[in-house]
Amino acid sequence: MSRYVIGRIGQAALVLWAAFTVSFILLQALPGDAILIKFLNPELGLGPEQIADIRASYGADSPLVVQYFHTAANFLTGQFGYSIHAGVPVGDLILANLPQTLWLSTLGFLLSVVLAVALAALSALSPFLWLRSFIQSIPALFISTPVFWLGILLIQIFSFQLKLIPIINPGPWQGLILPVMTLAVPISAPLAQILMRNIDHVLTEPFVAVARAKGASHRWVLWKHVAKNAVLPTLTIGGILFGELLAGAVVTEAVFGLNGLGGLTQRSVNDQDIAVLQAIVVFSATAFVLINLTVDLLYPVFDPRLRVRQGAVA
Amino acid sequence: MTLKSLSGSKAHLAALVGVTFLAGTSLWGSHAVAAGGEGAPAKGGTLVYLEQQPHTNLYPPAGGFYPNGGILNQITDKLTYQNPKTLEIEPWIAESWTVNADATEYTFKIRTGVTFSDGTPLDAAAVAKNYDTFGRGNKDLKLPISEVINNYDRSEVIDPQTVKFYFKKPSPGFLQGTSVIGSGLVSLKTLALPYEALGDATKIIGSGPFVVASETLGRELTLKARPEYNWGPAKLEHQGRAYLDEIKYIVTPEDSVRIGALLAGQADVIRQIQAYDEKQVEDEGYLIYAPSTRGVNNSVVFRPDNPLVADVKVRRALLHATNTEEIVATLFSTNYPKATSIIAKTASGYVDLSPKLSYDIAKAKQLLDEAGWKVGANGRRQKDGQTLELSAYESLPQPQNKETLQLVAQQWEKVGVKLNVLTADSGSATINNLDPAKAPVSPAMVGRADPDVIKSQYYPTNRNVLLQKGGNSDKVQSFVDERLNGLLDQLASEPDRSKRLAVAGEVQNYVVDQAYAIPIFEEPQAFAAAPYVKNVSFEAVGRPSFYSTWLAPRR
Repeated sequence: MSRYVIGRIGQAALVLWAAFTVSFILLQALPGDAILIKFLNPELGLGPEQIADIRASYGADSPLVVQYFHTAANFLTGQFGYSIHAGVPVGDLILANLPQTLWLSTLGFLLSVVLAVALAALSALSPFLWLRSFIQSIPALFISTPVFWLGILLIQIFSFQLKLIPIINPGPWQGLILPVMTLAVPISAPLAQILMRNIDHVLTEPFVAVARAKGASHRWVLWKHVAKNAVLPTLTIGGILFGELLAGAVVTEAVFGLNGLGGLTQRSVNDQDIAVLQAIVVFSATAFVLINLTVDLLYPVFDPRLRVRQGAVA
Repeated sequence: MTLKSLSGSKAHLAALVGVTFLAGTSLWGSHAVAAGGEGAPAKGGTLVYLEQQPHTNLYPPAGGFYPNGGILNQITDKLTYQNPKTLEIEPWIAESWTVNADATEYTFKIRTGVTFSDGTPLDAAAVAKNYDTFGRGNKDLKLPISEVINNYDRSEVIDPQTVKFYFKKPSPGFLQGTSVIGSGLVSLKTLALPYEALGDATKIIGSGPFVVASETLGRELTLKARPEYNWGPAKLEHQGRAYLDEIKYIVTPEDSVRIGALLAGQADVIRQIQAYDEKQVEDEGYLIYAPSTRGVNNSVVFRPDNPLVADVKVRRALLHATNTEEIVATLFSTNYPKATSIIAKTASGYVDLSPKLSYDIAKAKQLLDEAGWKVGANGRRQKDGQTLELSAYESLPQPQNKETLQLVAQQWEKVGVKLNVLTADSGSATINNLDPAKAPVSPAMVGRADPDVIKSQYYPTNRNVLLQKGGNSDKVQSFVDERLNGLLDQLASEPDRSKRLAVAGEVQNYVVDQAYAIPIFEEPQAFAAAPYVKNVSFEAVGRPSFYSTWLAPRR
């Protein structure tokens, strides 16, 4: 057991180290650097010697190996450095952006699941073929709706025309309503499509015919047999989409003027603010590794076969 | 009175007074364009101000970035203040001052009783420390030198209320330099912080009418009025604390959301509104403020180190092939006056060069022919097997810059010259724009209301927009213009006012004669505000000041 745990933790640490190293190398390979970009900015009007001095004071010209170990040591002690562009500690920047991203993506995902299930249920239960094909075409409409346009439209209608939800100075929950709607629409589309396709597929299975032959109603068959079988593949794709949401809300964040990791990443790439990017990469890798580690460590708890095998090995 | 006629008369006034140049000129004209201004100012209330971008580093010399200046202007005071009506440099934190004949020694008497918001006194020692830091930088704290302070040597505290500054060479622009946003005075605690920690607005301790109360990084910033504030510029009508209780800055990147929120009554003032949106806002009875940035005009500049534009005839041909009138009429509004020199009409030392900037396509073609660039089979100009094909990178902060460059490209096409307008992330664009081979043409502008601004723009060790050797680019092979640099040196160190203005005129003529720059328009900072927001004012380069602003009841 303990060997299993140590092995998994070791693997996790290795993955983290690899993520750090690869991102360090890749980020250093970028053509410019944040210090240069920040201080060459005409707004400061600095001379070449002044810029050279500043570079030296940041240690930007020291050998890469030195910088690598320096950065690694800092990360290990929880010092992520400063954002050159924003002039604040990277840790503060991430803390200012992370909660919003988590709320936005979690709620956006939940709403998209609700939307997808509602669409699938409507389509499966609809008594007319024309209505059914109309509902089945809705996901295609959803997925081709530009997020940017949808966001602006929702703001125009609900905030500016109907004056229901202020976009400026909203309450903490109020402020999430429109962006969550904006995010959920495109994400619900593939979910709904897969759910519908699976329902159709399962409906053709022999056991459904058997259930029908026994006199089960359409509704009962759907609920008891089809739904269970159709949900599993949907969950798989849902997991992937949720990951996409965490980083992919850039447009929504920009339209609604929200903080978020997506926007932070985009701005940092723009300014080549390496310290921030490096921290985001390592942070995301840590989150991913921790989730997987937890799942791996929980396997033996839930699956007795694993426990036995591990016991035998140990 | 309508806003436009007001700003028109202001420009006229500013131009008039510009002739009698006042030692270092800041805070020209546009300001206090209060619509109506009827009744006594109401006290209290929160002003909701929508910003397009989050602020970055708030070290005062970094106040050039518009979002930074918009905050620093409310929370810091300056040594001097330039009255917008008389255009004189007036007392503020400094009660009085003396300058020696060759402008190498400045002595300021500091007002008593001024405190920073952390309770420490703003006295001679604090002023000396501020200017030592701005004028010399601080290597240990990585604080860069301020662009507006030239030839700074050292300070001397004569007594608690008297401070003297010494300069290595004459520094006639210094007095004006003490009135700009980049010279906002901050407490010793702030000056003790390293550069990278100054993006946190709560760490910027000034003596201004407002104090940073709270901040959500990248999203929101709240300023509160200082109740004990009693040291506004002495000659200002409004004394004592600010009328507003609070200013809320909310970052709202999307243009249409900012405008919509303003018109829906959710915001009071918004920064950055595009020319094509102005009409919609005005039709709804809201106000557009477009204070000039009063410096070097929005221009297209050449990098003569690139052999394609090394010949003055080619540059001159392209200057005459550019139809500025069409650009301004197509893309902008009356708030964007057509440029008639490399600096704005309202800038000190301005000379009218419109005859030299004519749109003349026949002349352009003739000049290109003379330079040996003949029209080839594909309609493009060619010489020795080379095509006259140039590139420029879009500048993101300038209004509709991409559209402007694309229109210039269309105009140049008519004389057979190709201009590629390139877009890149701001990082790569900054780097590539420093290479004359990659960017032989570049958009450029800078705001500051002193002739020193011309030096800032063109001098190799400053912004170096022409990319001379010895400046911020290591890609330059050989291009240096000693005559231009000599004139710029003279401009920044000529203590005699009228001689200095004459030099300013000479530089403008020289840059246009050499066709180093094609001036396009005088760039304003464009804001929109609700009609009940009274007494919005602006400093020299278009940053808002909310000290005297008040909110009338909404109708």
